[in-house]
Amino acid sequence: MITASALTKRYQDVPVVRDVSLHCEPGTITGFLGANGAGKSTTLKMMVGLVRPDGGAATIDGRPFGRLPNPTRVVGTLLDASAMHPGRSGRSTLAIAARLAGVQPRRVAHLLDVVGLTAAADKRVGTYSLGMRQRLGMAQALVGEPRALILDEPANGLDPEGIAWMRTLLRDFADRGGTVLLSSHLLHEVQATADHLAVISDGAVVAAGRLDELLASSTILVRSPDPVALAAALRAARIDFVDGPGDALTVDGSGGRVTTEVLAGVARDHGVLLTELRSSEANGLEQLFFSLTAAKAGPAREAAA
Amino acid sequence: MTMARSYSTLGSDPATPAPGPISFAQLVRAEWAKATDTRAARWLLALSALTTMGMMLVPVIVPTTFDQTYASYLAVASIGQVILLPVVAMLLLTGEWSQRSIMATFTQEPRRMRVVTAKLATAMMLGGGAAVFGGAVTAAGLGLAAASGRELEANLSIGAIAGYVLYVLLNVLGGVAFGALVQSSAAAIAAYFTVNPAVALLATASTPVADWVDTATIWNWVLHNDWDGHALQISVSVLLWVALPLAAGTYRTVRRDVG
Repeated sequence: MITASALTKRYQDVPVVRDVSLHCEPGTITGFLGANGAGKSTTLKMMVGLVRPDGGAATIDGRPFGRLPNPTRVVGTLLDASAMHPGRSGRSTLAIAARLAGVQPRRVAHLLDVVGLTAAADKRVGTYSLGMRQRLGMAQALVGEPRALILDEPANGLDPEGIAWMRTLLRDFADRGGTVLLSSHLLHEVQATADHLAVISDGAVVAAGRLDELLASSTILVRSPDPVALAAALRAARIDFVDGPGDALTVDGSGGRVTTEVLAGVARDHGVLLTELRSSEANGLEQLFFSLTAAKAGPAREAAA
Repeated sequence: MTMARSYSTLGSDPATPAPGPISFAQLVRAEWAKATDTRAARWLLALSALTTMGMMLVPVIVPTTFDQTYASYLAVASIGQVILLPVVAMLLLTGEWSQRSIMATFTQEPRRMRVVTAKLATAMMLGGGAAVFGGAVTAAGLGLAAASGRELEANLSIGAIAGYVLYVLLNVLGGVAFGALVQSSAAAIAAYFTVNPAVALLATASTPVADWVDTATIWNWVLHNDWDGHALQISVSVLLWVALPLAAGTYRTVRRDVG
């Protein structure tokens, strides 16, 4: 269980995070989606006590992060894989984390194996690629056998195989009752990994909810040689629609209540012939993401990263 | 925004019991590992040891310029120690900011005050270990001198030994305090090797500076167990060079946003 309520942060009076609230339930993966500089990292850092909020609060398992007796045992964090001492080996880095977490030293070797770094364990982190550092960071996050994970852009620097591995790992973690909050600036990454979503733009959450509901809030295009009969059928079934594009009709998905299957059924029941029936689901979130973020994205906001 | 609000106002779980807190011993062991498990740290410690041993050769090789007493040999060992050891201590405090591993450290133990205290304890252990090592090197130097048939005055009192240990620890503490305040390795080292010589230079021109703020003068009194009439000056210097920067640095560390 991870919650944030009304987190706010200003740097030199410029708000970078405004009233951000998040709620992540056990068994779910929440994607925290936003363009670079939208305030994702600052929000996550406030949640784990690295940055002092100017307003609002966050809790993990009902307690502020700073009050957790041994935070690593409750929530694993990976906020910046490049923030590791380059002169220390992967094994030593993990051993220090294990020592503080108070777990068995043999967990170090086990985790190195889990993240696929056994062969490189005794090399200095300075020689690691970003992908290897992400893997080491993931091992560090998992060291205390936490029930929750907070990850900032965990897919950064991973190759396609690494990304697939990470998705499986996070899915397993959530399926076993864990809570995952991960940030990304890549929409398809979030779409492939998360089941819940919070979109942040310009420091504020602009959309949040279940991923399938957000996807379903997109529209369905339906076309018939007889648009008048189709419109009558939809009205009879109490389905909202608008005219267009062209002679087609655009139906509101109503949060997943109306699907292509529902529409096909309505057409059949009213004896209306359909020539086209497709959901914009595949790129619905993309449209949502871009409509929410692109309009406000300006070059000046990069600085707030 | 309505979606965001409904999302955040769902009920929350009651707090579940968490494992016990991180013990101070765990923190110190982790800090000790960090202080000794990198190549840079090992080089500095090895160099520090070599400097101490190298310095010890001086009174052995050129006996005419040095008092041939146990105490003066011990003083020579201390000179070798306080060149690099304060830098090692400084890096304990600054290194994690410069390498940004402080992020992992503070997410593992968000009570930052405890982390600073553990680093301080680690520095004291390093200083204590160095003092013991310096004692062993002194014994070896004295052995060499005695083997060459030299007369040595066995004038080591408890006070002289205490003065020597305190001198090494004060230098280490000075490094810790400096590192805590500056929080950047490069800046701290540069400042340390600029401020101290600058004060020492001022001290050659001004007796009040020498007697009240120049650690080269004042901590030498500690080394030679010469507290008579100097207790106040020593206390002021400890306040100025250790206590105040350490307090200010700790305050800064506890409040600083980790970017």
